[in-house]
Amino acid sequence: MVNDRGQLFTIEGVAASMIMLFTTYLVLGATTVYTPGDSHISDMQLEQIGSDALNMMNTPSNCTSTSCVSQLQQIVYESDYPATNTTASINFNTTFLNYVNNRTGPISDNLHYYAVVTFRNITNPSNSNSTSSYYLASNRNLNGVEHPVRVTEWVLIGPPNFPNGINLPLNAAATPRAVLVEVLLWRD
Amino acid sequence: MIDDDGNLSIDFLVGFTIFMITLIYVATLIPTLFIGLQSNSIDYDAVAYRTGVILAEDPGMPYNPSWETLPNISDSEILRFGLALSKDTPNILTPEKINRFFCTSEFVYPTDYQSRAVFGDYPYQFNISLQMAGSNVTQSVGDILPVDSTGRSVGTYGYSRRVIKVKEHSNATLDFSNFNVTSGQPKGNLPLGIYTQNATNQAFSVYFNYTYLLNSGPDYDSIAYQINPLAPSGANGLVGGEGALINLTGLQALPQNTGGIITTVNLSSISVYKSQSAAPLGTGQEPFGGPELNSTNPSQFLLYIDGNPTPVTQLPCNVTSNVSLFIPPGLLSYLGGGDSSTLLNITMQFRLSQQDWYLNSTQVTPYGAFNYNYTNPNITQPHLEDGVMEVAVW
Repeated sequence: MVNDRGQLFTIEGVAASMIMLFTTYLVLGATTVYTPGDSHISDMQLEQIGSDALNMMNTPSNCTSTSCVSQLQQIVYESDYPATNTTASINFNTTFLNYVNNRTGPISDNLHYYAVVTFRNITNPSNSNSTSSYYLASNRNLNGVEHPVRVTEWVLIGPPNFPNGINLPLNAAATPRAVLVEVLLWRD
Repeated sequence: MIDDDGNLSIDFLVGFTIFMITLIYVATLIPTLFIGLQSNSIDYDAVAYRTGVILAEDPGMPYNPSWETLPNISDSEILRFGLALSKDTPNILTPEKINRFFCTSEFVYPTDYQSRAVFGDYPYQFNISLQMAGSNVTQSVGDILPVDSTGRSVGTYGYSRRVIKVKEHSNATLDFSNFNVTSGQPKGNLPLGIYTQNATNQAFSVYFNYTYLLNSGPDYDSIAYQINPLAPSGANGLVGGEGALINLTGLQALPQNTGGIITTVNLSSISVYKSQSAAPLGTGQEPFGGPELNSTNPSQFLLYIDGNPTPVTQLPCNVTSNVSLFIPPGLLSYLGGGDSSTLLNITMQFRLSQQDWYLNSTQVTPYGAFNYNYTNPNITQPHLEDGVMEVAVW
């Protein structure tokens, strides 16, 4: 005989199916919040411009058999550690903003950046593999709301002393050194 | 008795119907989940990025001979535009490729550019523009950008911007305006490597040592800073290579007009001598074979005299103050037969109306000629100029 045990009645069935389907829809819909289709495009464009700019700053405009130094090499070489050399900061600011903001039309772009230099600190006697970083330049502080991209460029400094004003071990002073220029780049 | 077996209850029917309706409704909602992924701008941005990379980082196809050296009639052989100097120097472009690329009288927008730079079956509209830093002149090809008067975009378009440098070729400027003669002897103030003599027939020679130019360039012979008479290679090695410009200015200071009689100067011919092996130093033009060209019709060169904007095509020609000899890209390679061991001597013969002081390079070593090299301070070496290139696709 048919009894009522284990049965789902109409009204409950309707309610349950709607709840389940709506939940499914919400779950599927919610995932797209984290992958909005277009955001990686503007990131990619920023990365492109930033790495192009650093790369071109690190390409000398003039090169003779005796001297072949790029603007970026000159700026990083002049920038002091630990105190920031203001001339180097101003030079970096002017040059970098010129590169990233220039457009082919009359209206230039308006990007913001924060740049630091990282290098292997061979003056630390206890740990010869320790790295140090110092502030190079910026035209705005990152306030936590912005969404920056990170672009980097390895810069070869030397053989003169780097950083300036630090007594390096004698065997290190005459060796060219690779330091990393890191730039966080964002748009309002 | 009739029992309930095999019957569908009305409850089930109602429930199943509502279930199906809701399922169909949800199924139709699923495509909207992907609405962010199907926007056209993604495709446009990808195409713009691809075109930007092709133009900035690729030397184009064919590469050897380079596409920009092909004659107009061979346009169908150009498979891909690329403006880079070489595949090892991304973002460093050459002026010859830029000029040929933006030559809209030769290539037709959009078809020629679509098939060689933008690619794809969809008939995109696009705009490619390039501007040098500090210049107001924008070179561009394509449709007008969908922007309003304030530069704000109306409608979406894919966009890619590349920071670039353009290799400017070398040139030599020799200024004689501070030259003077005191008591019959020349008194200094001459550009390095230049001499004068008191005679009626005089010659000024420029000397190109291809082996030296190709192997002794700055920055480990980087092609970006090289004075390269052969690359980019052209058809059969004969039409490639860079140009060179030689400016002689202030020439009116050289003749001393002895006895109050004005000396007139004629540029009578331009000769080209060639050798494949280095001769002992200081032996004048003897080590050179030739002349390859002994020309009173210097149409291979662009010869400008006294600031006249029309090139001279017939010699002799009267010279007062300036001579600009432009050796166009491809000519050095052609004259040297594409051979990297070439030594080339280009000689300008001057005939004076009377014996007087004028240019003479016979005392200069090697080979009695002004050496076009990497060290002479009167030669502006190849250098890179900043610029920016934008690609917009919609």
